[in-house]
Amino acid sequence: MDVDNRGTLTTNRPAYPRWRVAAASVRGTSHEKLGTVCQDASFWQVAADNTLIAAVADGAGSATHGHVGARLAARSAVETLRAHPDLASLEGAHLDAARPVLEAALLEARHDLIKEAHACGLKPRDLATTLILVVASTRGIAGAQIGDGAAVIQTESGDLIALTTPDTGEYTNETTFLVSPGALERAQYFACIEAPGRLALFTDGLQRMALQMPFGRPHAPFFNPLFQFISRADEAADDRLASFLQSPRVKTRSDDDLTLLLAALTDPAHESEHTV
Amino acid sequence: MSEETILDEIEFAENPEPRCPCVLLLDTSGSMSGSAIGALNQGLQTFKHALAEDGLASRRFEIAIITFDSKVTVVQDFVTADQYEPVSMAAGGATAMGTAIVTGLDMVRDRKKQYRENGISYYRPWIFMITDGEPQGEASDIVDEAAARIRTEEETRSVAFFAVGVEGANMEKLRAIAVRDPVKLNGLNFGEMFVWLSASMQRVSHSKFDDQVDLPPLGWGTV
Repeated sequence: MDVDNRGTLTTNRPAYPRWRVAAASVRGTSHEKLGTVCQDASFWQVAADNTLIAAVADGAGSATHGHVGARLAARSAVETLRAHPDLASLEGAHLDAARPVLEAALLEARHDLIKEAHACGLKPRDLATTLILVVASTRGIAGAQIGDGAAVIQTESGDLIALTTPDTGEYTNETTFLVSPGALERAQYFACIEAPGRLALFTDGLQRMALQMPFGRPHAPFFNPLFQFISRADEAADDRLASFLQSPRVKTRSDDDLTLLLAALTDPAHESEHTV
Repeated sequence: MSEETILDEIEFAENPEPRCPCVLLLDTSGSMSGSAIGALNQGLQTFKHALAEDGLASRRFEIAIITFDSKVTVVQDFVTADQYEPVSMAAGGATAMGTAIVTGLDMVRDRKKQYRENGISYYRPWIFMITDGEPQGEASDIVDEAAARIRTEEETRSVAFFAVGVEGANMEKLRAIAVRDPVKLNGLNFGEMFVWLSASMQRVSHSKFDDQVDLPPLGWGTV
């Protein structure tokens, strides 16, 4: 897990209900064998009005600097959205209103990747990465996705909803990247006015455990324990999540890099004493 | 579909992992006899062990083997690596390379259809051809047909076709047949080549829009 990927809480007096967030990226066994680094990344921040902005990214295995691309894309997209003057209006918005703002954040992230590639004497494709970006609060959730992986929420009434589906072609290891031609047009955008009680963003390494393919329905036995976990999470949640991702029960099912970001809006009535 | 093959499809229920199909086209013509065929047989054993070490890979990686000499033989139909047992091969005869290529491409096409019918996701199939010579003992239009098929199927991204030349191979001819640059094997280093193959194919994610496959470094040969 990379401490640099963590955002910072900027609220002095936390608003309620507030977010508990845990995120972890672990290197896949296949990448361990080939001696390559973990190419996944996540980044999140909570803005002053208790709006969560979060991203996960999966650097392409075929890209020489996929890990650089993933980190840069996740951070750039989150920070761009964070700086948006009318962020608070976004999550409860109709998709028509949210989409241009999300598109601008993807475009900025893409622009940063291309700039970084040129600065390092690389080609943009050397920094190829997927990107899932969300902004969420009690007012609702909006977001965008380029490539595979998915975003899943659980509503207050307990329903699991996949907000996106993994974008793959004929072949399971092929997808669209932020630097791919037409990536922004191919991106999936979503906006939902229901408060996302719980939220999960994950990269493609977890897809086969998390979703029932080919329809991409969230797999309840996977999400229910994880969402219970994040609802009660404490300071050690990141480490526990990383241990879970490194446990045999996960590793025997997937040899890819794995990233999981979990968030829950905690109810003040049930708030325990410890602070995040 | 025969009764026998209907029951074969139960393998997709028993093992729903995504599949990584790889066809080996192996030259077993007379010139391969002696140390070359011995090293190749040994290499297949190494291949088997490299795949068996990795529980997940051994259920995803599928191998089919076609040998070509004066005739073309499917010595191994598609089988996941955990079920694969190498059979020792002997060498002798001419080099029906074109026929072997067409047979391999047909097998890949049929296998993909089976995956789709059974809801199995899959990686882009690879065909890996190993030879120490050039087409010989078959009509030249068969070789032309094979080359044309490779060209079309590479363009439509149906398959990735790799040619590996052992010492003595006509590299120019291989270049004319395969779209990708052929690789010259260092000595008889089949073991290292197969270890690389077992590690490389399913490891990398690609852009849908790239025609090239970015390969990990080849320690065992030169382009």
